[in-house]
Amino acid sequence: MFCEKAIELIRELHRMSDGQLPAFNEDGLRQVLQEMEALYEQNQSDVNEAKSEGRAELIPSIKLRHCCLLRNQRCVTAYLYDRLLRIRALRWEYGSVLPANVRFHMCAEELQWFSQYKKSLASFMRSLGGDEGLDITQDMKPPKSLYIEVRCLKDHGEFEIDDGTVILLKKNSQHFLPRWKCELLIRQGVLEHVVS
Amino acid sequence: MFIADIRKDFYEVVANQRVVLLVAPDIDALCACKILQALFHCDQIQYTLVPVTGWQDLGTAFLEHKEQFRYFVLINCGANVDLLEMLQPDDDSIFFICDTHRPVDVVNVYNDTQIKLLIKQDDDLGVPSYDDIFRDEDEEGEDSGNESDEGSEPSGKRRRFDEGAVERRIERQRAKREWEARRREILFDYEQYEYHGTSAAMMFFELAWVLTKDTKDMLWWAIIGLTDQWVHDKITNMKYVTDIATMQRHVSRHSHRNEDEENSLSIDCMRISFEYDLRLTLYQHWSLYESICNSCYTSCSFKLWTLNGQKKLQEFLADMGLPLKQVRQKFNSMDMSIKENLRDVIEESSNKYGMKDIRIQTFGVHFGFKNRFLASDMVHATAALLESAEKDDSETDTFIKALDALSRSNIDRLHSGIELAKKKLIAIQQTVASCICTNLILSQGPFLYCYLMEGTPDVKLFSKPMALTLLCKYLLKAFVLSTRNKRCKLLPLVMAAPKDVEKGTVIVVGIPPESETSDKKNFFGRAFEKAAESTSSRTLHDHFDTSTNNAENRFLDGKLFLKFPERERCE
Repeated sequence: MFCEKAIELIRELHRMSDGQLPAFNEDGLRQVLQEMEALYEQNQSDVNEAKSEGRAELIPSIKLRHCCLLRNQRCVTAYLYDRLLRIRALRWEYGSVLPANVRFHMCAEELQWFSQYKKSLASFMRSLGGDEGLDITQDMKPPKSLYIEVRCLKDHGEFEIDDGTVILLKKNSQHFLPRWKCELLIRQGVLEHVVS
Repeated sequence: MFIADIRKDFYEVVANQRVVLLVAPDIDALCACKILQALFHCDQIQYTLVPVTGWQDLGTAFLEHKEQFRYFVLINCGANVDLLEMLQPDDDSIFFICDTHRPVDVVNVYNDTQIKLLIKQDDDLGVPSYDDIFRDEDEEGEDSGNESDEGSEPSGKRRRFDEGAVERRIERQRAKREWEARRREILFDYEQYEYHGTSAAMMFFELAWVLTKDTKDMLWWAIIGLTDQWVHDKITNMKYVTDIATMQRHVSRHSHRNEDEENSLSIDCMRISFEYDLRLTLYQHWSLYESICNSCYTSCSFKLWTLNGQKKLQEFLADMGLPLKQVRQKFNSMDMSIKENLRDVIEESSNKYGMKDIRIQTFGVHFGFKNRFLASDMVHATAALLESAEKDDSETDTFIKALDALSRSNIDRLHSGIELAKKKLIAIQQTVASCICTNLILSQGPFLYCYLMEGTPDVKLFSKPMALTLLCKYLLKAFVLSTRNKRCKLLPLVMAAPKDVEKGTVIVVGIPPESETSDKKNFFGRAFEKAAESTSSRTLHDHFDTSTNNAENRFLDGKLFLKFPERERCE
């Protein structure tokens, strides 16, 4: 049946609805494009035939193929666009350096798009707040306090904070540290925010 | 040295610094730690919290952090040894010690620069005066100087001078020997008994009060710390009652609001109230029957390990008019009519059965519709969590779980702690019953002795110090009531349980003899050290309580060598 491959692509993204980025399905995309090409060729030949020989009974099949082409196009653009939205969200979640396993799932064009997005976000942030710029990717929720209490979930070794002191992060030790230093480690799962 | 003004000499010193908190594994220390953490959060003092389970842990934690931190706060550890000698710190490390272990080591008391004791100076200490223990070195220098001067005099006079000098030297040496003998005696007297002082949680609550940053949560934690000392039999009854009165003043200060129909507090707010409540452990979270069977006081008074005792219990319940069906179901589901006057009814009946102290002064907390807890409930729940014998949990894991259970937002954890506590109490009761019935307690001359074999059910629970100590006290009480031998009633009890089967180590605990007016002073610290020397078996005096000890199996063979210091006092 036509358009099934395209629906496969959409389903693949739909399965991972929590914002994860699955690997770029180059095969699937190629198959869809091939199908589109085949449909288009058939349509071209049918149109020529209908025009030249006046066979009006070919028109419904031409219309059908045209609808399939439009459908495929819509599915493919939806697939690509949704992936771009997910990649954009990754910048806000992980920071400007993506972990290797995520980068592996992106194709070359998506990587290029990502670096362009990074650049424009960075220049926007620099333009805010006077000379220094403002990092708007920090503090996504309004912070309740300057310092938070964190608990160490695994041995992480030494960790340096802004004024130079080094804290030893040993399993099950608790620390009271500035919020902005801890956010990255909390996202990585080394520290856990303790709400008392 | 003792700190005079806790706000100026401690809090303001650490106010802009980073601090390391080294916390011992007992409930009082956990409560003190929570209070201090809350204060530090208020003032944004950065800190690092490291749980330490013994002297080795303390040493390791100190070595790891000494490069980066200058200020160390030790909670319930470190006062009873010479800390500077043990840790060998640099000159700029400062230690603030808030410890209930007494006697405080004399070096810690008289060191002016590095050790600051967050202990009240009059807290039942009896520290020997400085001159009795420390002698100036200058006097000796003068002696030798004089001698050399005198030696250079002309020979005729020298002989007379020599005689005078020799006499003076002999005199000085004799005085010195006398002084040293007296010093040894004073130190021996001072250090032979181990006991406990005011709760660390109460000390920190007082700090919070002085800073006017005290909250109901901190007050509740201070109450739990105090109750922990009473539940684990660390302080005398008199001291407990005095401290309760202090806490009562704070409680009434915090709940003085006039609550009437219009201005009533929301049901979710925390309310602490003074309760003159029953001494039945966990009875509000259990059934009344189970609680009576598994509480030390009632079980020993009725002698529930005997058939006679069971009959007496049934009579007791019948006397109060409580139907068995009601008494065996969960307390919350008992009929309201029975629950209303329960305390008075039980008190009246207990008086007839010889239990004069069935009620005890304590505090309860109430927040939300479902959550009511007595202070002793919290202590048992947290202690069960702290010493839970799960395979995957290391000691720091259980420390963190127990610390979490003290927050009001972790009620689930507290409930799981209560379930563990119930299992622990049932295990203790069964072990006591079996030990008494099978006569596992042997009299070894100056003390009683009991060894839990490896196959005993629940023996893993008793490889932890607090649980073993609780079992030990319970067993001694039960034994004293069930034996007919008058001499045995005055003996102390030593108990051993396997700690680590693979390594062949045991944990040994000693408690003083059972008496009505005991001052809770424990002499086993010294006794264990001497026994270890004489059997040359490896013992690890790792616990902060000197009366608990880890040893090889061989140590138990040397139990005959346990001789007590001659001047033991059995009051």
